[in-house]
Amino acid sequence: MKSNVLIIGGFNKAQSLAKSLLIKGYIVTVINSDLDSCHSLAEISGLNVIHGDGTKPYVLLEANAEHTDIAIALTQRDEDNLVICQLCKKRFHIQRTVAIINDARKTEFFYQMGVDSVVCATSAITNIIEQQAFMDKIGTMVPIGEGRINVAEVPILSNSPAVGKKLWEMNLPGEVIIGCILRGEKSLVPRGDTRVLAGDTLVLISSDNTEMLAIKELTGR
Amino acid sequence: MLSIFNLSDPGSDYIIIIGCGRLGSTLANQLSDEGGNVMVIDHSRDSMRKLSPSFGGLTLIGDGTNLEILTEAQIKNAHYVIVVTDDDNTNIMISQLAKELFHVPHVIARLYDPERECVYKELDIETISPSMLSAYEIKSLMRKPRKVSNQ
Repeated sequence: MKSNVLIIGGFNKAQSLAKSLLIKGYIVTVINSDLDSCHSLAEISGLNVIHGDGTKPYVLLEANAEHTDIAIALTQRDEDNLVICQLCKKRFHIQRTVAIINDARKTEFFYQMGVDSVVCATSAITNIIEQQAFMDKIGTMVPIGEGRINVAEVPILSNSPAVGKKLWEMNLPGEVIIGCILRGEKSLVPRGDTRVLAGDTLVLISSDNTEMLAIKELTGR
Repeated sequence: MLSIFNLSDPGSDYIIIIGCGRLGSTLANQLSDEGGNVMVIDHSRDSMRKLSPSFGGLTLIGDGTNLEILTEAQIKNAHYVIVVTDDDNTNIMISQLAKELFHVPHVIARLYDPERECVYKELDIETISPSMLSAYEIKSLMRKPRKVSNQ
């Protein structure tokens, strides 16, 4: 059976999320309080659009909240997203609720109040901007677990201090592991006695804030 | 629920009122006149003008959903937090913050739309709904003259 997904609020985010979920085969309904936004959203084929305030129970009911599996609250206001998720959870017994928030300090509180997944839009964006600023050292960096863990691709150049060293010889921070070494066409899972060569790309798994230390140790920058 | 109006020992209770609209300011003025220890929080400096010249409490200008503002208001020491902004969802979130994060013993919130009450229910938050109170009052007014005419 196809999962029903309900997206409340947001325009650009709702639009791109809805498109991507429809392609993956979900049944998607969006609720938006702005009529013009609703008209634009309605142009996406296969998308159900409801015009109204998603923090009102009867609007959620109209959007078939009772038979929804996942609810995603994307409105501008943290309080609205909290109320939406709580209504979805308590009144309509939706299994999974997701909220975006602006104020990162309330993340823990949202979890306490029963929201299943909290995404802090502000810190996600600042993280990405920070990564872009360090682009020369890192190929790509993927934050997982709300950014507590980062997976980074670190290219090793011939002048890097790590060249020719075995992994155990390097002074890496405790909360960092090198999960994989990409060497030419091959990829290998390293052990302590694996030597790092120039031209390697290391896949680094690290907890937050330690990756820069590790990258400095590996690349010298 | 209305025990707040007969404080046995006024002055010992610290009361925070969030939202200085008609209700918030009226309540703040009355409680302050009765000798209560009142703090009013509102994001608009202008709305503080509704407080009477004799208001003897404190005021704090800022967003009542902001944890720093709540901490600055020493919400941890509050006996009562009364949340009466003009937005239901804001009132819900502030009440939950007061209850869950700051463990305020008495949290009272105004809620225009009683349909959302299920969100409050399990938490120990007391709610006042103007439309419910008005409906109750109107019905009691309707009953009165009939009783008189029946006698």
